[in-house]
Amino acid sequence: MSDSIVKVNNLVKRYKEKIAVDNFSFELKQGEILGLLGPNGSGKTTTINCILSLLSFDKGEIIIFDKAMSPKAYDIKSKIGVVPQNVAIMNTLNVYENVDFFCGLYIKDKSKRRRYVEEALEFTGLSDYKKYKPKKLSGGLLRRLNIACGIAHKPSLIIFDEPTVAVDPQSRNAILEGIKEMNRQGASIIYTSHYMEEVEEICSRIIIMDHGKKVAEGTSNDLKNSLKIRESICIGMPAINEDILKDIKGINHVYDAKYNEGELVISLDGGEHNLVHVLEYFSEKNIPFGHVQTKLPTLNDVFLEITGKELRD
Amino acid sequence: MFLRIFFYKIKQLIRMRWLVGWNFLFPLVLASAFYLGFGNMIKDDPNRLDTIEVAYVAGDGINSNFLSVIEELSKETKDHGKILEVTSFDSLEAASDALNKKDIEGIYYQHDDNIEIIVTENGLISTSLSQIVKSYQNYQASFEKILSEKPEEIDTLIASINSNMSFLKKYDFKSGVSQYMQFFYALLAMSSLFSSWVSTAMMTSLCANLSECGKRFELAPGHKLKAIFAGILAGTLLQTLSNTVVICYVEYCLGLHWGSPIYMVIAITSLASALGISVGTLIGSIFKNELALSMVPLAFTMTCSFFSGLMMGGIQQIIQNFCPILNKINPATVFTDSLYQLACYGKTSAYYQDLGIMVLMIAICLIISVLILRRRNYDSI
Repeated sequence: MSDSIVKVNNLVKRYKEKIAVDNFSFELKQGEILGLLGPNGSGKTTTINCILSLLSFDKGEIIIFDKAMSPKAYDIKSKIGVVPQNVAIMNTLNVYENVDFFCGLYIKDKSKRRRYVEEALEFTGLSDYKKYKPKKLSGGLLRRLNIACGIAHKPSLIIFDEPTVAVDPQSRNAILEGIKEMNRQGASIIYTSHYMEEVEEICSRIIIMDHGKKVAEGTSNDLKNSLKIRESICIGMPAINEDILKDIKGINHVYDAKYNEGELVISLDGGEHNLVHVLEYFSEKNIPFGHVQTKLPTLNDVFLEITGKELRD
Repeated sequence: MFLRIFFYKIKQLIRMRWLVGWNFLFPLVLASAFYLGFGNMIKDDPNRLDTIEVAYVAGDGINSNFLSVIEELSKETKDHGKILEVTSFDSLEAASDALNKKDIEGIYYQHDDNIEIIVTENGLISTSLSQIVKSYQNYQASFEKILSEKPEEIDTLIASINSNMSFLKKYDFKSGVSQYMQFFYALLAMSSLFSSWVSTAMMTSLCANLSECGKRFELAPGHKLKAIFAGILAGTLLQTLSNTVVICYVEYCLGLHWGSPIYMVIAITSLASALGISVGTLIGSIFKNELALSMVPLAFTMTCSFFSGLMMGGIQQIIQNFCPILNKINPATVFTDSLYQLACYGKTSAYYQDLGIMVLMIAICLIISVLILRRRNYDSI
């Protein structure tokens, strides 16, 4: 058996004339957390639904655990856990019953199932809410229940489709920590999100999607290193003249400098001690300035450079 | 997996408050309302079929065998009560005068080789008089055929007639079924068809194109159709239970007799519940819209119930006169007719035909649903 868990080759999915996924290929390797990052409508969820055989597709090939995925590939499905974008639980069943119901679709043995359900509740911090009906739970707890239902059967491949949408920061951190822990326990993970910070925090490899296409792929550092701009320095200033701007653009490694609404933004394409060089220049010229902030490039900058728009546009 | 889903579906369904309200409580409330409206009339029904006063026209000569039959029915025997009060008239005009004066309720007269019936209105009396003629003609035809082809089997036919006579005693015309019980039959039909709601609710949580839960369900390594049948069984069981409560409430608390043994009424109603569930399964497999999934079963139930006489007595007769096929394809009418047939005439061929139609409808709904639902991936969700 190869170390490839999921292999998607040239996947194409059309909705009538609109192409939702356009010749999309990727591979998830054993033990990886692969992030699919892209704005809303970029084709992340459609890709996931195709991978899971919920959606038919027009072209391409999907191999999971070295076998072709199909709606009736029960041996493959038994090893997959899914945490969908929207909370998918039964409102008439309590927390324990929900996890037990969905776990029971995978695990036949009663004592094993009971143990797994308890462990899933423990893992997601829901042990104290076993008897609660979903309508009594907060948004964060509902999300955790959604996760518990998806992972209780201890799958080796887990797909998280934007699990932190509309979740408070505390619950979000708990969810992200949980995902890292599941990965440490051996699960390979596909994680879709349009929150670049999350993807950056937990994913070992990232694929950036836009309009159903893969626009970039690599580790967070690989992607950021591919940028022309490697660092930005923002300096608060009441005013600035063209001569100073020209001088700044002449400093080593300065790629661009722009002044806008009381702030000078200097973009640099590499080098070291850049801030020191800039501040030395201001000191020599006796130019007054206010706050100073340096920024390293983000995945948003990667997306901006590739597509010409913000990730959250 | 089948049993787990079955038990979980039961648990889910009984926790749905709207379902308990509409399927359990509403029929009880409506039965109480009907009782307040018609209770006294049912208990003292002027149209209750006691003895029917019928005349025959002797002047034109009536079939002597048929005359023997109606004279037999005008006697009270150990097998049946006095079903007919027979008088004779010399002419059809004289008999018609008596009918118009309401001295009699119907007229038999010979027209060519046929025995015709005249009544002033359609209803239980006309149906009963016509049933007597039909039975007579059936037996006459059987006798003629057996005598000409297999005379040695005449004893078997006589034994069969005797057994039907004792059957007549058990489900005789004097079972006390009021025409107003039609409203209660229609109420049971409505209650049974409400179960179409149960199955659309059940289907919603099992199909990926209907809900998020359905997506999760379809991602699991299990047979979807097996799960749906577990849900159908759970829904039918619950609906039968609900109907049983209504049937017992009407019989024992309100003191109104269904006209047939209560276990028979429950058995037929459970078949109707299965029909309602099957229709709901079909609706759930066709419609994707959440609003449609709740409104279509409601509209279907109320329309069928209306045409079976829930809100307007006698509508079945009107439909029968103008478009009889509607009565045969309306599940509520077929169901009420089966109860009516059983209560008034016993297990006649019409009764078995009604049961057959219901079974056929269940089969059609389920086969179409299976064809639609067997696929497990979608063009869009």
